[in-house]
Amino acid sequence: MLERLTPAYERLFMKYFFLIFESIRRNPVRTILTSLGTMMLVLVVTLVFTVLTAMDRATTEKSSNIKAIVTEKWQVPSMMPYSYAKALTEGAADPADKSAARPSDYMTWGFFVGSTESNPAKRGFENMFFSFVMEPEKTRTMMDEVDEMPDSEVRPLIDAIARMKEVPNGVIVGPERLEKMNKKVGDRITVYGRNYRDINLELEIVGTFPKEPARFADSAVIARDYFDRQLDAYKQSHGGKAHAMADRSLGLVWLRVKNKPTFNKLTEQIIGSPSFSSPAVKCETSSTGISGFLEAWRDIFWGVRWLLTPACMIVLSLVIMNAISISVREREPEFAVLKVLGFRPNQILMMVLTESVLIGLLSGLFSAAVSYYVINNVFGGLPFRIAFFPKFTVPEAALWWGAAMGAGTAFAGSFVPAWRARSVKVSDVFARVT
Amino acid sequence: MTTDVSWVHARDVHKSFKRGSEIVDVLNGLNLDVHSGEFVGLMGPSGSGKTTLLNLIAGLDRPTQGEVSVGGQIISKMSESQLATWRTRNIGFVFQFYNLLPVLTAYRNVELPLLLLPLNAKQREQQVRTALDIVGLSDRLHHRPGQLSGGQQQRVGIARAIVTDPALIVADEPTGALDSKSADEILNLLGELKRTLKKTVIMVTHDPRAAERADRLVHLDKGLVTHAQA
Ligand SMILES: Nc1ncnc2c1ncn2[C@@H]1O[C@H](COP(=O)(O)OP(=O)(O)OP(=O)(O)O)[C@@H](O)[C@H]1O
Ligand SMILES: [Mg+2]
Repeated sequence: MLERLTPAYERLFMKYFFLIFESIRRNPVRTILTSLGTMMLVLVVTLVFTVLTAMDRATTEKSSNIKAIVTEKWQVPSMMPYSYAKALTEGAADPADKSAARPSDYMTWGFFVGSTESNPAKRGFENMFFSFVMEPEKTRTMMDEVDEMPDSEVRPLIDAIARMKEVPNGVIVGPERLEKMNKKVGDRITVYGRNYRDINLELEIVGTFPKEPARFADSAVIARDYFDRQLDAYKQSHGGKAHAMADRSLGLVWLRVKNKPTFNKLTEQIIGSPSFSSPAVKCETSSTGISGFLEAWRDIFWGVRWLLTPACMIVLSLVIMNAISISVREREPEFAVLKVLGFRPNQILMMVLTESVLIGLLSGLFSAAVSYYVINNVFGGLPFRIAFFPKFTVPEAALWWGAAMGAGTAFAGSFVPAWRARSVKVSDVFARVT
Repeated sequence: MTTDVSWVHARDVHKSFKRGSEIVDVLNGLNLDVHSGEFVGLMGPSGSGKTTLLNLIAGLDRPTQGEVSVGGQIISKMSESQLATWRTRNIGFVFQFYNLLPVLTAYRNVELPLLLLPLNAKQREQQVRTALDIVGLSDRLHHRPGQLSGGQQQRVGIARAIVTDPALIVADEPTGALDSKSADEILNLLGELKRTLKKTVIMVTHDPRAAERADRLVHLDKGLVTHAQA
């Protein structure tokens, strides 16, 4: 039965495709309203889900090859003494204890923020300078995403790391920041400290980050050793008085551990160690660390995901339903004529549904494709600054769920009007009821 | 299919409508026979049930009680989708206000009923051209209804009614919206369909000049045939 029906419907669809097409063309208000609405919806949803997917990925717990983050326990932002670094990077393992848990790799982060502009009055976004103070070689092995990329994709970074070994005051600058500063590799810059007052650095740009991952495009990396020497120099030139921040220059420590048991043991070692009591520290996996960081945003994300997005979809379905209802009502005599000619109720239902689903599908696809192209290729990512995510790129999947969402909303919005078109009673439309 | 067997056959037909809580009896046990190849005019005061009767004969609605058969098939017993399929091949419907699809050209409008039949594009084209030829509109294939006069639109309507070559044409005041010259042309055309193509035609009309063209007039009042005249 179905095998015999399907080709018949297919043939019919091909044959009356022009009917649908003409009707789309001839009802511009309905068509434009539906498609603009759909495009707005898909745009909003694409942006929201771009951010949320990235967050989800970052906060999903891994079970092996875990990254742990050690930070100050009671204070945000975390500012630990650098003297913690050595023991922490060994996971606070007792050197004598062979069975102690040890990290397989580590990275320490401090932050130096400043400006390339000497005149404080002129400091602003364009000349801002944000840098990680860290071991340069760890940018390759420990930085999120970079650590999973093959050599071929991070060639510039590998070269830059090699140069950092030769140039103590070297700096690796993200491609976007370079562009904003209007500098190139080889140039020298002076950075005037902001979180480290009166620490001004003379730096030589030795390399840049690859374009992907975009999250490092706007940042810079300077060497821990060099930075410490600058803090020492400050002390000497200020009559032996150390910089106010000198003892608080360690932001966080990243540790790579094999698996969850190792992580748990390592955490115990660190928390249990008397060396880290003032200030106290905590140890989390990077996903819970980021989750913690995002805690403040959690309600907003929840609201956006479960309230705003569905609300958008419902409102849009109503808009579409309204637009299509109006056009169905206007065309009631048309549907009645089709019925007189022998079109069956379900064929009319299918026609109205196909019409709007087609509009929804194409508008959704179009909107997603444009967002994808414009955000990723023109802006190089969505600039939404929270946590460690400077930029978000629209996932490719947006193309199909944009189209699916457009089609789905159009379907939901057009079902009731389509059903009404299906149920048009010929005798009511043509009899003059007096 | 001999001429002396009645082609359209209505026996004790009742039709009532619900209007709110009230039931309105429109047809009250009506009987009607129309022979194959006959051109019948249906007259009567407004509200007497002419359109209602025509809808029953054309299979657009079903009687509340009684039997309607066309060409030997009892259509009052068919389901809605059976009726739909049956209409495509057996009935051509001509409306007072033409009811062409405004978005489609004359050609596409006439082609519509053929989409429901298992014909390929070439066969469809042939039939559409033939139908438009018969009504004398071969030179207006790609005009939309808005670009045609009332008389021309009605001729497209007739072409659409005959394109599937049905045996029965029903027309509800086909000249009601036309000036007398166009009306004459349409009536000539309907007469032509009967004469050369041997169609059976049932036409509702208020216009005595239109009524003259019919082989026979049937008068309806309060849902009953009051008298028929040759
Ligand atoms: N679908 C319907 N629902 C309710 N009442 C209806 C319906 N169709 C027709 N009627 C009523 O049935 C009666 C007959 O209507 P019908 O349209 O058949 O008359 P008519 O003879 O064609 O009149 P006219 O010459 O004005 O076209 C009218 O009173 C009308 O109001
Ligand atoms: Mg009427």
